[in-house]
Amino acid sequence: MTSRLGLPDLGVGVGLRVPHYRHILDSRPAVDFFEVISENFMVPGGKPRYHLSAVCETYPVVQHGVSLGIGNPTAPADDYLDALRKLVDETKTPWVSDHLCWTGVPGTNLHDLLPLPYTQEVVKRVSERAKRVQDRLGVRLLLENTSSYMSHASSTMPEWEFVSAIAEAADIGLLFDVNNVYVSAYNHGFDPSEFVRSVPHERIVQIHLAGHDNLGRYIIDTHGGHVIDPVWELYRETIERTGPVSTLIEWDDRIPEFPVLAAEAERARRVRAEAVAARAALGGRAPARPRMGVPVRGAAVPQHRAWTQGGPREHEGGSP
Amino acid sequence: MSGVDELQGELAELLTRRRAVDTDPTVSEQCARIATGNDRLSPAQQIEIYREQFWLRHTSCLLEDFEGLGAVLGQSNWERLIEDYLSAHPPTSFSLRDLGDRMPEFVERSSWLPHHDLCVDMARVEWAYIEVFDAPDAAPLDPAELAAIPESAWERARLRLSPALRLVRVGHPVAAFRRSVRLNETDRSLPEPEPQNLVIYRGRDRDLHHQVLGDAAFALLQALSQGLALVPAAERAMARAPHQADRIEHELSAWFADWAARAWIVGVEI
Repeated sequence: MTSRLGLPDLGVGVGLRVPHYRHILDSRPAVDFFEVISENFMVPGGKPRYHLSAVCETYPVVQHGVSLGIGNPTAPADDYLDALRKLVDETKTPWVSDHLCWTGVPGTNLHDLLPLPYTQEVVKRVSERAKRVQDRLGVRLLLENTSSYMSHASSTMPEWEFVSAIAEAADIGLLFDVNNVYVSAYNHGFDPSEFVRSVPHERIVQIHLAGHDNLGRYIIDTHGGHVIDPVWELYRETIERTGPVSTLIEWDDRIPEFPVLAAEAERARRVRAEAVAARAALGGRAPARPRMGVPVRGAAVPQHRAWTQGGPREHEGGSP
Repeated sequence: MSGVDELQGELAELLTRRRAVDTDPTVSEQCARIATGNDRLSPAQQIEIYREQFWLRHTSCLLEDFEGLGAVLGQSNWERLIEDYLSAHPPTSFSLRDLGDRMPEFVERSSWLPHHDLCVDMARVEWAYIEVFDAPDAAPLDPAELAAIPESAWERARLRLSPALRLVRVGHPVAAFRRSVRLNETDRSLPEPEPQNLVIYRGRDRDLHHQVLGDAAFALLQALSQGLALVPAAERAMARAPHQADRIEHELSAWFADWAARAWIVGVEI
């Protein structure tokens, strides 16, 4: 088992989503680990807590959040961090992740993962807070590169420099979302290989893979389908540079039957093994490979839907 | 306030606007100051992607939580209500679960709503379902604990009710209507006025249920929920439902057994 920042490689996991609860608890499928959306379980009781506890009995669980708001005008609230810490103690998650973004301003939570301006001022703000959050939670904090649909006029550096600077300054880990790299590369016209090659690979503790919706003029990160081939190739390139890293399939919209999700995880396992073998054959160096280049504009799908992070919320069951 | 704070404040204002920013010439300059745009999207179009999602995300979340209210109102009134609500009460909690926490009072104040009384009932009941869904767990009543209580102590005993239980008195049979909405029954009509005492609760199976109670039993439960000991609670219930005073006396132990079996009562304090 490879250790990254002292953290284990958990293998290949999937996001724990409400439509699969029954299947998972009844048949306990072979999955290396589950990732849960922290906020869905920061409640006092009822089914969410019951289901989480049942899953934790059988599987390693890692926590992934959507509401930390590390780049907001104000620092994360104490009561939020206290509740998060309580859940960390219960799930025994080896790390906690959230997004490198902002989510709202005082008085309004936008419940979105909004891109930050890539500036030194924001690097300082976020890295100082990330250090404090990490200390408070008692486990390593990972921040995830987000997908974005707008670019700030005030940015002074490319996203990969911004991500790297924060990870190094705060001494935190990275949750490297390969699909997000591709989505942002498409939306903003950069070479995703540049991103993959430029971040500190030793800090990548977890990887996300997901599908997206290509609307032609831009891509929305819906997590609503299969991982596309260019993203698989980018994943291969990432693993060739990092070595084996805990990898997770996210599927939050149009969620399929569990076996479809499990097959996607199996594909990740195969690609990961091939990339690790290619790296090992070169004594731990990444094979030379051409850059991917700026993604070519793809075929559009007709609809533009709402999307959510973490799939549908759990609701009442039983008698309607 | 830093430059980033100001930028975020400006963006938050743009993203919570009711109308599209990419077709509003009055904000195009402001958008161009904030976003770069590219060869496919103007700065305002980039920002509009997020603005549109703000509304789609929150309105769909509220529709999940207030499905019955949406069915009573119909599409256009529902959209107007939700836009008004989100403008008056922008989301503040980190959790979307709390998004509708002010909906019952907001509906009460929205006197323009058609079927206003019915809407008020429905909003109260649907919020009660949200609260009960993830309320704290409580261990069921231990029969041994019960057996150990001496007869003489019952007079001053206080019954502890489940945290996952709400008592809602409504003027329409909204729980049954909501059920038909959730079952997608097509031949439903809006309920006529008919006062009901509803207990909305999470059962031992962790599913949510509702139960209609008579006046006496409901009054007793209300008194118990306010922390009254058993005897004063029964006296208050008799005062509230004097026509059913005999019933309270005769059925008390049967009610008690039923409520314990349903996990409405989770403890006894002497």
